Amino acid sequence: MPADMFALTLPFDPSALTLEMLMAGLAMLVLILGIIVPKGARHGLGWVSLLGILGIMAVAVSLWGEKRELLNGMYLLDNYALFWKITFMTAAALVILGCMRFVDNMGNQAEYYSLTLFATLGMMVMASAGDFITFYLGLELMTLSFVILVCFRKTDAKSVEAGIKYLLLAGMSSAVLLYGLTLIYGLTGSITILEIGRIIAMQPLSPALVLAVVLVIAGLGFKVSAVPFHMWSPDVYEGAPTPVTAYLAVGSKAASFAIILRLFVSGLPGIWENWAMVMAILAAVTIIVGNLVAIPQTNIKRMLAYSSIAQAGYILVGLVTATEAGIKGVMFYCFLYVFATMAAFVVATYYYNVSGSDELRDYAGLAQRSPLLAAVMLVALLSMAGIPPLAGFAGKFYLFSSIVGDFLWLVFVGLIMSMVSVYYYLRVALVMYRDDPVDATPISVSSPVAVTLVFATIATLVIGICPGPLSEVVNGAAHTFFLH
Amino acid sequence: MLTISLTHYVVLSALLFSIGLFGVLTKRNAVAVLICIEIMLNAVNINLVAFSKYITPIDFTGQIFSLFVITVAAAEVGIGLAIIIAIYRNKLSVNLDDFDWLKW
Amino acid sequence: MSDWAGVFIFFVVALIFGAGGIATSFLIQPRRDTPLKLEPYECGMPTQGSTWIQFKTGYFLYALLFVIFDVETIYLYAWAVKFQSLGLFAFIEMIIFVFILIVGLWYAWKEGALEWQ
Repeated sequence: MPADMFALTLPFDPSALTLEMLMAGLAMLVLILGIIVPKGARHGLGWVSLLGILGIMAVAVSLWGEKRELLNGMYLLDNYALFWKITFMTAAALVILGCMRFVDNMGNQAEYYSLTLFATLGMMVMASAGDFITFYLGLELMTLSFVILVCFRKTDAKSVEAGIKYLLLAGMSSAVLLYGLTLIYGLTGSITILEIGRIIAMQPLSPALVLAVVLVIAGLGFKVSAVPFHMWSPDVYEGAPTPVTAYLAVGSKAASFAIILRLFVSGLPGIWENWAMVMAILAAVTIIVGNLVAIPQTNIKRMLAYSSIAQAGYILVGLVTATEAGIKGVMFYCFLYVFATMAAFVVATYYYNVSGSDELRDYAGLAQRSPLLAAVMLVALLSMAGIPPLAGFAGKFYLFSSIVGDFLWLVFVGLIMSMVSVYYYLRVALVMYRDDPVDATPISVSSPVAVTLVFATIATLVIGICPGPLSEVVNGAAHTFFLH
Repeated sequence: MLTISLTHYVVLSALLFSIGLFGVLTKRNAVAVLICIEIMLNAVNINLVAFSKYITPIDFTGQIFSLFVITVAAAEVGIGLAIIIAIYRNKLSVNLDDFDWLKW
Repeated sequence: MSDWAGVFIFFVVALIFGAGGIATSFLIQPRRDTPLKLEPYECGMPTQGSTWIQFKTGYFLYALLFVIFDVETIYLYAWAVKFQSLGLFAFIEMIIFVFILIVGLWYAWKEGALEWQ
């Protein structure tokens, strides 16, 4: 290669990485501001991060419709990736806006916000990942940021224990996943997902490839807490500070689904008939176990953890057919799942600040103390249960309608378990609305929290009542998925 | 004459991976589990470098991938040990045997 | 299969060689245990206290910082080897990379991670 070949020309067009560079810059800026700014003024860092995220979201919207491939498909920028990035940033913005006071109480805002932003950056890289290296780096950036966030209250034994558990199990699952990925690399000679898709379609199925796919499913199953691999999530969700739990439940799960779709639908469609049934069984078991174990829980965070396992099962349903309709269902459901989960967790965070408890029985009479918190919680839970006309119903409709033809039994499992889930969601409602509070002092909700809650609730209602516009957008985004 | 082929590397890596996985699942000590995870990641690295040499000898994809794996593994160990230090400070103990509450 | 037979014979011989030495010395050695003989080292300073001592966790912090900054070398090394042909773009990228690491070091310094407590 001649010496002047790269002299001043760039090997690739860095403008496709605008969003990621801006996000990395923002996270670094927040970290540096944390050193420079005196301790008393650091609560402003939350606003800096929030405004930064909103700015980057505006850039993301302006990039809508772009379609680029960097470095031979190593990095893909299309509407599919942009949709996911906007989803992650929405979740980050909601969690920052809703939980500022909680973070101020924990102290050390600079580290908290910059780690949240780095986790978001990791998710954004995952959404665009076109090869294994990008995928792995995004995944680990997200996971390691979350590990530090989970044990953020480093004097609280529960938080630290949750942190080390998450680190060790995440490390193990990444290693299993990586081993599977290296086997795929060895069998195809490529690490680019699209190229692997082409090569595998031409090869006969080898047992080594089956082993590789099993390892990849196990590794990614950990990340989305699908059932045989879900054991970490209730402990970690309970031990982590509540805003972190919220972001972990939404962000890391959505990002993992973004890459699962990319890997399985565009990387391994050639052996679809071999993994479809595995996915369907995984989805069914996850839905059943998640919902059944959620019933006896007495801690609201633990209950939400099991409910989010069940939600992961619903989302897996969209993956089974590997069609555009399924992808659309997954994207739609993840987007509305952000609002419902964020609303529920922000209420839990705020109530924890007031009462110092996450136990379900302490939610008694919340409706009398604060009608807003109780109403938001109710809407969020009913949306997760899939009651029409809330967003969750539309989401489940799209997900399950994609599999009606081939996997009718899975539709029945989903329907029955959705009905079961109504039971434990309504139990929370009953405690909040029927029981009398021990301490009847009204709770005043600060305005950032009120804005977050009202916004999330309105979004849940609007998406539920007229899902058309969002559905159009998701359709367009899911369509670009197949254009590479 | 015995020559080392790709199979040898893959078998070595599979053995190493199994040893690591076994350790992760049986060890009760957080540091030991961390070490076992490192063993698994090293198995991955052996795979990557071997495939890079025998399957894609022209481009160095696998070798570059293994560099990234090494970096991430170092970050993971750094965070793991930092958390373990935080646990020591909470429990005012440096004795690893006190870690037995880490059960799953 | 004959290739593998060589490995197998080598393995067996190595096993016999190692185990045989230990067994022979066990069988023919004279046993006269004196306190001096039971010391870990037969000569030199007598050991003081328990060998399972606790040492300060402060050492760990330095080790952690070292590991993190040590790993940057694998990228610097790969870049330095190809420095001539990579040119200006890679140079600027490397400066950004090192700058990010320096911000991390700066943060650790300000947070007091480099203080000896």
